Amino acid sequence: MTPPRDRADRRTRKLAELEPGSRGIVRRVSGEPGLLRRLMELGFVPGTPVTFVRRAPMGDPIELRLRGTHFSIRTSEADRIDVDPF
Amino acid sequence: MSIPSELAEVESKPAVRLELGDPAPRRSRRKLVAIAGGPNCGKSTLFNKLTGLRQKVANYPGVTVEKKAGFCALRSGSVLELLDLPGTYSLRPGSPDEVVVRDVLLGVQAHTPLPDLTLLVLDSTCLDRQLYLCMQLIEIGRPVLVALNMMDTARDEGLDIDAGLLSRALGAPVVPISARTGSGIAQLMEAMEREVPPPRPVTRGLPEPLRDAAERIARMLAPVGPLAALSRFHVAMALLLDEGEEDSLIDAAPIPARREVMTLRARLDAEIPEWRSHEPIGHYHAIEELVRKATLRVKPEAKLRERIDRVLTHRVLGPLIFVLLMAVVFQSVFMWATPIMNAIDAGVSALGRFIAPALPAGPIRSLVVDGAIAGVGAVVTFVPQIAILFLFISLMEDSGYLARGAFIMDRLMRGVGLSGRAFIPLLSSFACAIPGIMATRTIDNRRDRLTTILIAPFMSCSARLPVYALLIGAFIPNRTVGFLNLPGLVLFSLYVLGILAAVLVAWALKRTALRGSRPLYVMELPPYRLPSLRSVLLTVRDRAGLFVQKAGTVILAVSIVLWFLASYPKSPGRVLPLEKRLEAVEDGAAKAAARGWAAEAGAKKAEAAQIQNEIAGISLRDSFAGRAGRLIEPAIAPLGFDWKIGIALLSSFAAREVMVSTMATVYNLGDVDQTSVSLREKLRHAENPRGGKAYSPLMAVSLMVFFVLACQCMSTVAVVRRETNSWRWPIFMVVMMNGLAWIASLAVYQGGKLMGLG
Repeated sequence: MTPPRDRADRRTRKLAELEPGSRGIVRRVSGEPGLLRRLMELGFVPGTPVTFVRRAPMGDPIELRLRGTHFSIRTSEADRIDVDPF
Repeated sequence: MSIPSELAEVESKPAVRLELGDPAPRRSRRKLVAIAGGPNCGKSTLFNKLTGLRQKVANYPGVTVEKKAGFCALRSGSVLELLDLPGTYSLRPGSPDEVVVRDVLLGVQAHTPLPDLTLLVLDSTCLDRQLYLCMQLIEIGRPVLVALNMMDTARDEGLDIDAGLLSRALGAPVVPISARTGSGIAQLMEAMEREVPPPRPVTRGLPEPLRDAAERIARMLAPVGPLAALSRFHVAMALLLDEGEEDSLIDAAPIPARREVMTLRARLDAEIPEWRSHEPIGHYHAIEELVRKATLRVKPEAKLRERIDRVLTHRVLGPLIFVLLMAVVFQSVFMWATPIMNAIDAGVSALGRFIAPALPAGPIRSLVVDGAIAGVGAVVTFVPQIAILFLFISLMEDSGYLARGAFIMDRLMRGVGLSGRAFIPLLSSFACAIPGIMATRTIDNRRDRLTTILIAPFMSCSARLPVYALLIGAFIPNRTVGFLNLPGLVLFSLYVLGILAAVLVAWALKRTALRGSRPLYVMELPPYRLPSLRSVLLTVRDRAGLFVQKAGTVILAVSIVLWFLASYPKSPGRVLPLEKRLEAVEDGAAKAAARGWAAEAGAKKAEAAQIQNEIAGISLRDSFAGRAGRLIEPAIAPLGFDWKIGIALLSSFAAREVMVSTMATVYNLGDVDQTSVSLREKLRHAENPRGGKAYSPLMAVSLMVFFVLACQCMSTVAVVRRETNSWRWPIFMVVMMNGLAWIASLAVYQGGKLMGLG
């Protein structure tokens, strides 16, 4: 796993924009109420650390690690989650 | 084993009992324990361990959700009733499965009494997120017993969980176990027998307006369940917060309460826009505190998992391994099952021959041998395919690979609006749609599952092959086109046509009948685990058993009806003279044989067989099925089919390959298969009433297109009925597929004629 190339760049970005292998902290989740609630129940709650593990062979979905659990999530869904890289 | 009626399947319409205000009557005084937990927490393994083989699978009324119930005999001699709830992460439902879990645990599920105890199974290796459901259970104030499963694995991974500390913090008993090895099960059973007090409800300081809103609605509801006041409050919270499209809770509430819910939601939206996120944020804060207290060491990155995943989800190796594995699965369902199916066929025929002499010749014998025994055979032949497919699926599911396969295939399947999970059911459908449709239960999204069920029969199954082989052999010239062989090219095109139809129908369904808000395609990628053979075999047994019980009865009934239609009415006027002649010829053959005139005996025998075939032909042509074939001729004539093909289309509803033997019988050839040269010749040279050729290559193509698209398989209809728990979808499927087949064949035949190909 390579560390993020530019450690100083900690601007908030979409989760799917992280580099595979890098980590971030969930800052905000958006979307219509039902989807939002489902994401939060899965643990995407502000302040939670999340790791972008890898992309699927065809580039999408992506694998994340959150609270000790690995998830597959589509890029379009990961776009609803804003993270601060660290 | 008998199951108390309250646990048995109830076929009546669903009803969430909100207005009745009366808990479901308990007919037995046995303690009812509901087992709850997330997917992959080892819940089912534990359920199997606790109940042994004393379990029964049924459906919750009105939905496709499976209800697994069983008994657990304790050392003390008393017996508990266990209910294995579907796996869920949260009591706020996002799917019909989760609606059932919530309704059972709130005590509002029709025909299911409020459980006395909830046994919550947690995967100790990822307690963090699993505790979410625990928080919700404690919140609703029902007695909870926590089983910390996979403690052995957690210890191996360097996690040290203090069960005593966790128990004190939760206010609920906690028992560390390993469902796989069986350690801790004895202590768990003891704990289940003890009276568990309801936990102290955690107050997470709900925002004042939300609490007020819930209390207002609670006052409008009739008392629900034994813990009336508290339950009512949580039902009210569910009414406010649970907005899923497939959630019927709101429809069960009294009308004034329904209106109030809408008003209050709007008011809350205005007052505190984030009121819906309050619950998850609150629960996770509490969980973080708990985990900090109870877990002494944090879980390290799983090294082994990472190493395996680096190969199995590798950019190149991942798809390659998946394709190879699928080839093995497909080959097994397609090929391994064949010898077993042939053996079953042979066994069924032998059984028929064995029983036949014991019965008086005539209608009774025919009913038993050609109707009932053949029908049982039709059911049993599917069992090997189902068993083999589910053997692989449960091995893949329990080891954690199934989720990786879905991860790899998701991008591809998205093209048709489905997820990676739809791949295996569709692939299996190329062997047979029956196991394929049954395999859709690994798809958690209901609309995706229905779409997959409805398109699965478009995959050209092995039963269509004999039909294709007969028609291609008879009508498609064996010559090369470029470097391709024409018959091969036609066969290939038929498979492609099926796939194209599936894509088209999936696309259309997703925009019409199965339209809905976009679901969340988040899927857990569980850690790799060694599957337990016992669990795998139990799954295989369950699937095969359910098929025989539920779909099998329909298939058997339809087989008997089809037998009747093809055997009655008799036409003695035309058959009797032939039978007399047959008797005479057979007599002659016997006499010739007795005198040692081998040549004459052989000739007489051949003549007898010819007469028998003629009788069979006349009987079929004059039967109800034969008449129906004539009746539908005007509808199928534009597709190029005559009434004889009409009979074959109708009788192939028993199974598509029956088309071949029906055509053979209609043409007085007796029982031959698709490789029969004489049948091919007969079809090529068959004449229509005007003396011209009855069939042309164009008709053959039109007929093959019809077989690709039409739903001509009673077993598929029966299994769709079983899997969707209603007649609505199977009827829709038959109408949709046959309509599509008719239109496509019409286009092929009429278009071809216009182009001068007829």
